[in-house]
Parts: sequence; C-alpha cells; structure tokens
Amino acid sequence: MGAFLHRHRGSIPYLLLAPGLLWLAVFYVYPAFQMFITSFWSGTLETGFSFSLSNWTTYPEALDRYSEQFGRSLLYAAAATILTLLIAYPLAYAIAFRGGRFRNLMLFLVVAPFFTSFLLRTVSWKIILGDDGIVLGPLKAWDILPDEFRVLATPIAVISGITYNFLPFMTLPIYVSLEKMDRRLTEAAQDLYAGPWRPGGTIAGAGVGAVLAAILGFAFRLDIGPAAAVGLAAGAVIGTVFLSESFIRVTLPLSLPGVFAGSLLVMIPALGDYVNAALLGNPSTNMIGNVIQSRFLTNADYPTASALSFILMVGILAAVAVYARLLGTENLTAGRGV
Amino acid sequence: MTDRSGLHAPLTRRTFLIGTTLTGAAAFVAACGTSGTGTDAPGPTGVAPTDGASPPAGEQTPSAELNFANWPLYIDTDDNDPTKHKTLEDFTAEYGTVVRYAEVINDNNEFFGTLKAPLEAGQDTGWDIVVLTQWMTARVIRLGWVEQIDLANVPTFVANLEDAYRAPDFDPTNEYHAPWQAGMTGLGFDSAVTGDLTSSAALWDPQWSGRITYLSEMRDAVGLTLQKLGHDPSTVTTEQFDEAIAEMKRAVDEGIVRAFTGNDYAEDMVAGNVAVAMAWSGDIIQKALERETLRFVIPDEGGSLWYDNMLIPKGAANKFTAELFIDFVYRPAIAAQIAAWVNFIVPVKGAKEELVKIDEDLADNVLIFPTDEMLTKVKRFKSLDEDEETYFNDQFSTLTGV
Repeated sequence: MGAFLHRHRGSIPYLLLAPGLLWLAVFYVYPAFQMFITSFWSGTLETGFSFSLSNWTTYPEALDRYSEQFGRSLLYAAAATILTLLIAYPLAYAIAFRGGRFRNLMLFLVVAPFFTSFLLRTVSWKIILGDDGIVLGPLKAWDILPDEFRVLATPIAVISGITYNFLPFMTLPIYVSLEKMDRRLTEAAQDLYAGPWRPGGTIAGAGVGAVLAAILGFAFRLDIGPAAAVGLAAGAVIGTVFLSESFIRVTLPLSLPGVFAGSLLVMIPALGDYVNAALLGNPSTNMIGNVIQSRFLTNADYPTASALSFILMVGILAAVAVYARLLGTENLTAGRGV
Repeated sequence: MTDRSGLHAPLTRRTFLIGTTLTGAAAFVAACGTSGTGTDAPGPTGVAPTDGASPPAGEQTPSAELNFANWPLYIDTDDNDPTKHKTLEDFTAEYGTVVRYAEVINDNNEFFGTLKAPLEAGQDTGWDIVVLTQWMTARVIRLGWVEQIDLANVPTFVANLEDAYRAPDFDPTNEYHAPWQAGMTGLGFDSAVTGDLTSSAALWDPQWSGRITYLSEMRDAVGLTLQKLGHDPSTVTTEQFDEAIAEMKRAVDEGIVRAFTGNDYAEDMVAGNVAVAMAWSGDIIQKALERETLRFVIPDEGGSLWYDNMLIPKGAANKFTAELFIDFVYRPAIAAQIAAWVNFIVPVKGAKEELVKIDEDLADNVLIFPTDEMLTKVKRFKSLDEDEETYFNDQFSTLTGV
C-alpha cells in the first residue's frame, strides 16, 4: 500500500480534494444549475412551467422591479460590516494583547451566542428593545426619549440585528491575525521612535467619529449637526489617546488579513440575510432576501425568485473575485499578507 | 408548568412569517416533527371495529394505517409528550388504524408544491388526509385532485356540519371537503391604550401611528380593508381590490403601519409594542391570558371568516379509512376534545354541549362559538380564479415591500 501510494503520490492531492469537490458538485453546482434553468421558466403553479430561452427578460424585469431592495441589501450589509469592524477590532485587540489568562474565556464568550438559535437570538431583540421594554421603558419614563420613539421596526434595528448576529465572524479572524503577530515588532518600532501618532490620530479619530455620529443621528432622527459635533469631539479624544504610530505602522498592517477575511465573512451572508429585516424591520426595510423568500414561497413565482438568487450569487462571486485579485488570495484566508 | 398557553397558542397555525421564512430554523423544525401515535403501540393491523358506534362500513374494512398531514399545533396534544394526541389514540382504539400524523404543513402554497407532482402524474401523494385553507381547497378541487367522499360512509359529518359551512361555491354538495377548524379575522386591540374600539378605521388612525400592524395573509388584510371601504370580500372586483390596496398603501407610506405580520403580532401586543392590529380570533383568546387588556372584536364594518378543510388527495391509498376519520372527528365529544386545545371555531354541531363538560369558560367564549350576530358580520373571501390570484398576490406583495 505504501509503495502504491508512493508511486502514485502525484494523485494524492486530488484524492484529498475529492470529498470536497464531490460535496460542492452535489450541493452547490447542481442546485445552482437547477436554479439557473428555473429562472428561464415561465408559467404558473397550476398550469405548469415551461422552459424557454426567450424568458431571459425575467432578469432585467426582476432587477428593475427590485432594484430598491438590492440597493438596500448592499447599504445595510455595508453598514453592518463597518459597524462590526469598529466593534470587533478593539475587542479582538483587547483579547489578543490584554486578555492574559482570561483570553480563552473571552473567546468563548465571543462565540457563546452561537449556542442559541439564530432565530431565537433575533426574536429576543424584540423583547429587549420593545417600545416599553427594559431599555426604552425607563428612558421614556425619565423623559429622556419622547414617547413615540422606537427602535424596533426601523432601519437601525435591522442593521443592528445584522451587526449583532455576525459580530463573531469579524472578531475571530481579526483575533487570529493579531494573536500570531510577533510582539517584538511593536517594541522595535517604539525603539525606533514610533510614539504617539499626532496629529494623524486626532484627525482620523475625529473624522470617523463625526461620520459615525452623523449616521447614527440620521437613523435615530436626531439633529445631525450637534450629533456630528459630539462624535467629532469624542473621536478626536479616542484617536489622540489610543492611536500610536506603532499601531498604525506595524499592528494595523499585520492585522489587515484578518480584517479582510472578517469583512467577507460578514458582508456576504449579510447581503442575503432576510431574518433580521423580517423580524426587526418594517415594510420599507425589506432586503433582497425577503423578496426572494416571498417570490418563492408565497407567490410561487419560481422564475423570478431564481433569477434574483442568481443575480445575487453572481454579484457576490464577481465582487469576491475582484477583491481577491486586488488583495491576493492569501489575504482572504487570513494568511500572512506581508 | 400548568400554564401551557404559550404552547397551546395557535402560533404556527397560519402562514406566518417565521414559519414560511425559517423552515430550517431549529425552533421550527422541532415543531414540525413527524409523530405516529401508534409508535409505542404494537400496531394492530386489520382489527375490526367492535362497537356499534362505527358508521356503516359496508364491505370495506379500516386499513392498518392512515397518513394525515396537518399544520403544527392544530390538534389536541399531550402536555407532557408532544407526540401523543388523544384524539388519534381514540381513533386507533376504535378502528385499529394507526394514524401517522405529520405536522408538515406550514404554508398552503409550499405544501401544494409538494403535492403537485404526484397529483399531476396521477400518483398517490402518500397522504390520506391533508388540511388546506379554503382558497387552496377551492384550487385543488377545481383541478380535480381530490377524491369524492362517499357520503354514505360519513353520516355523522353529514348530520353535524354547522350550516354556515354548507354548500360553499367551490363544493356545493360538500362531497369533496370537510371543514377542520375555522377562525375569524377582525380587530385586535389593547384596551388599556386605545379604550374600546368598534370600527376598523382604528387601523388607519394616526393616533397610534407606528403601533398598528396588518396581516401578511393577503385575503385577511384585503378582506378587512374592503369592508372598511364598504365592499363585500365575497364579491370583490379588481377595481375594489385596487382601491383596498391604495387604502393600505396610504397607511404604509405615512408610517402608520409598523409591519405586516403573521401570528407574531400577538407577541408584539403582549409586549406592548402594538396597540391595534388585524388579528385572528384564536390568538387573542390565548394572549389575553398573558395581557388581560387585549380584546378582539369583529369591527362594525365587518370581519372575515376563514376555515381549513380536510381533503382526501386523489389516489389516496386509504380513502375509506380517511372517510371513517372524517366522520370520527365530527362526533361532538371528539370535536370538543380538539377544540379545548386549539381554541379555534368548531364547525361541528353539538360540540359546545360537549365542551361545557371539559371547560365551561371556553364553551362560553364567543370567539370559539360565535353568536349569530357575529356570523352575519363575517364574510368569506371570494374564490379567485388563477389570473385574479396571481394579480392580487402580486399587488399585495408589492404593498408589503417585497
């Protein structure tokens, strides 16, 4: 046996790949092909469907009719990706560099939500953020918020839901890339006069803070000017205190592979997500996933549902291909990008 | 552990959001399991009925098993063992037939999709009884995919079917369907917030802007709106339909409508997020146990009546036994046993008298046994032809943002 394998060792990689390829062929390529065929159907459930290439018009029609939901998916997914990054990076940094003996416990806590069903976690938000729930109830009672204020059934609830549900997908890759970093590089940078980053840190912090606060202000229907001013001030302080030159020149570049991998892991499922919009949104926050679900199950409009799914899939594949081309595949797998 | 209302709630009964969108989710899968009542019984085959209570069976004998597809939480279920259903055990005890009961229906269209291929090919679907909502019932009867019930085998059904359910337009002779349970769609509200309401105009009242929900089931939402506008859903025209959509769109655009929901509006009402809702009668009965100020009324303008039917799919292997079963659940005592658990309207005469023996309060509940006055205010939605069906669903989808 050993001799046999030795003689045919060239085929070993193929043997190792075989289970994965077979799996992909059966559960990805075949259904995708089936979906593509379905998108060229026309007809109804009662009369039956028939295939014709002339039904390609389903694609432009679907794109046109649901461009709003496509755009919204892109916007919400991008917003959620940026938010997860802003939350996950400091978190991963703290665990990797300041975790000490609690590091494993903290990592466990990051993934702990996965022990509960995705659905239940999202539904629990409805209870926590209820209009008179444990968060908003007291704030309204103390007149901090107006009575008609609500978070549920708003875009902010949908984006927050996505952010919450996908946060571990961003945290873990960033943690991995930070954790394996050689700490001596930072020390070397500091020895070489990498001190506080000024005025870069102040400016970067102020910029990010102002933009973020303006977006939040817009979402919560507050005055954007004052909100942006508060964000600008807070960001400037945080940037001045926390952003050192060694971070910008050493730590951040070395952690970029994790950031890239994390953004893909969050952005891609977020684009197709429909649970958050369905449970936390309102009629004007539906994403493309909600449309596909409704076309498929409620309206029995299989061709449009398939066409929309196919557009989404091809769009994501193309974006990933461009991303990989620009940044190199090693970045996607959180390998050493330098 | 005595209050099992959460589980009793007909939560997954209708096409509701989570049900249709998350059939893969763990919570839902748990509710959709297949359960054979006879799993721990020796599975007696061909045991002949022994008492005179059975209907005239003629030459035929009950089969060894009966395959019954139903919606989740839609039959009496043992509090300690969700796979045990007393009604089905009683049937097994009497006829020796093991009922293979599967809670596999979450959505009319979705389930229809699974039946379509074998029925088209003239094959057995594997089910002897399926439960479908009236509009889907109309569709499958129209397609000729339902076995004709031999009325001689179902004397109890013929005698006990409530008059309100007799001779619908899709089956004037009642030979193709037998109503399982019914419910009403009307106005649900939290009287602590809104006071007493009687008009469906409350569903458009900016006073409760953002705290109003509509139903995502097209016939329910459109039906209520049509009646608010003074139209009759049982004779709806395309113009009237368009008018109803425009009326709802106004409320959506002005931000009055918080969401289009399935049964989940009921949870939101308990949480205090929703003050006024298009609601289903059975839900409010349950949820009022958790929030006493919740009320359900049939609005002055009118509400709707919907019901689900037992059908025997064409080519069913055990048609005779299916007929025996239909007849069986039309015995008032059995109907009361189911009603005491599912809390929807019982289409069986005499069930009320039997339910008094189980739970007097429930028997007095007008939402389970509606008064004649209420029944005059509830309308059925017209049976739509295919073009109307497609157009209505499409327009309604667009309204709901998908």
